[in-house]
Amino acid sequence: MKIGRIALLLGAAVVLEFFVGRSPYRGFLPVDWFLLATAAVARSGDFVRAVATGATAGALEDAVLSQPLIGMNAFAKAIIGYALTLVSVRVVFGGAVAVGAALAAASLANEAIVGLLSALLSQSPIVLVSRDALWRAAATGVAGGAFESAWNFPWGEWWHRRRLRRLR
Amino acid sequence: MRPQKPHAEIAAANPRRGGAVLVMVLVACVLVLSAQAQVRGGRGTVLQSWMLSASAPVAAAVGALSRGVSNAISSTQALFHAREENERLKKDLDARELELFRLRAEARQGAENLRMLGQGASLPGVVGSVPVLLIEHRAGVHGALIGAGSADGVVPGSPLAVPAGLVGRVVTVGRGVSRAQLLLDSSAAAGARIARTGELGVLRGDGRGAMILNNIATTSSIARGDLIESAGIDGIYPRGVPIGRVESVSRGSKLFLEIRVAPTADFSRLTDVLLLAPSPAVRENAETAKGAPR
Repeated sequence: MKIGRIALLLGAAVVLEFFVGRSPYRGFLPVDWFLLATAAVARSGDFVRAVATGATAGALEDAVLSQPLIGMNAFAKAIIGYALTLVSVRVVFGGAVAVGAALAAASLANEAIVGLLSALLSQSPIVLVSRDALWRAAATGVAGGAFESAWNFPWGEWWHRRRLRRLR
Repeated sequence: MRPQKPHAEIAAANPRRGGAVLVMVLVACVLVLSAQAQVRGGRGTVLQSWMLSASAPVAAAVGALSRGVSNAISSTQALFHAREENERLKKDLDARELELFRLRAEARQGAENLRMLGQGASLPGVVGSVPVLLIEHRAGVHGALIGAGSADGVVPGSPLAVPAGLVGRVVTVGRGVSRAQLLLDSSAAAGARIARTGELGVLRGDGRGAMILNNIATTSSIARGDLIESAGIDGIYPRGVPIGRVESVSRGSKLFLEIRVAPTADFSRLTDVLLLAPSPAVRENAETAKGAPR
């Protein structure tokens, strides 16, 4: 994936994070947009860009969400970027459900890593998995699955058929 | 699209190189985190402050956009809520108006009944007031549907009147509704008497809104404006109830006068009528019919 496209993805993630986070519906859409951006890059199978994207996305997330320690999400998402690339290269799988499940698991892993780092560095109580984390993982998985479906949908063919139906 | 170089593709797909980058990134992260961790509890670091300052304009702009969209959604929701509430209130208002209409009608009916009964105190054997549901004028037939039936004690032949005068009689009785024949009907007849002279005759409806008094001899002194009342000789109507006033008197071709009578009751404004007790003959007939084997 080209760097410009990655930048666009990250920009979209920042915008969406602010957009949804500001809205009163944020409780219903706690999607990890930065993780989705990382996963989109990891899908291309480029380890370096996936790790770099994960680190950048995490750093942006830390900055955007005003985390007490900048770098925790960068740390976690760099690992997740690498792991997701490894999965996409080594494991043959596809479909909205599989992608959604992988992203939900990645989201949980992200939460666990951040929780662990936070406990280590801030001496705060360790919270690896919470109800919010599960809800966030589910939302991220559903959103990822939906994007995967939309990505694989034959829009051109559909549009062509639709035009033909109208012409008839 | 510019094709990617083959060696670059291999390098990109090489997990070792990716692993090296990962390790470097992780080390950098740990260093950054460690640097921040040293000053935790303070007012934050320069890095955090810089990050916040850098993201502030984006946050403000996107926040404003998000606020606008949220407000639009809220407004739309409020609009739908308002529509729903409007529909509900309209239904509520309709139901209340219906109830009010019913109560007003009941109150009017009650007041009308009281008025009728009060005014009809001079009439003999008033049973009660009943509403007129329908009046029919067609091809000489003058009939009415009244809102009382056998459940209310109505029997065929029960006379109907208003305070101003006699109206007709019940001919068919249903459970809650009865059919009445008005005196204007072309086949209606009643024994009548000229109140001033006491002469007896037979009054018939002409089917056109007036009545004809028959069997009055040409020697009679009847004059225009004389009151005609029921004679009580027909076995249906009680005696002494006003029926009409003489409108015109003319000499017919035979032995009797031709007398047109205008009804005293206003048949065009019949809304309620008084049900009079049936005459003993009618009652006896009704009882006989009830007891007769079918």
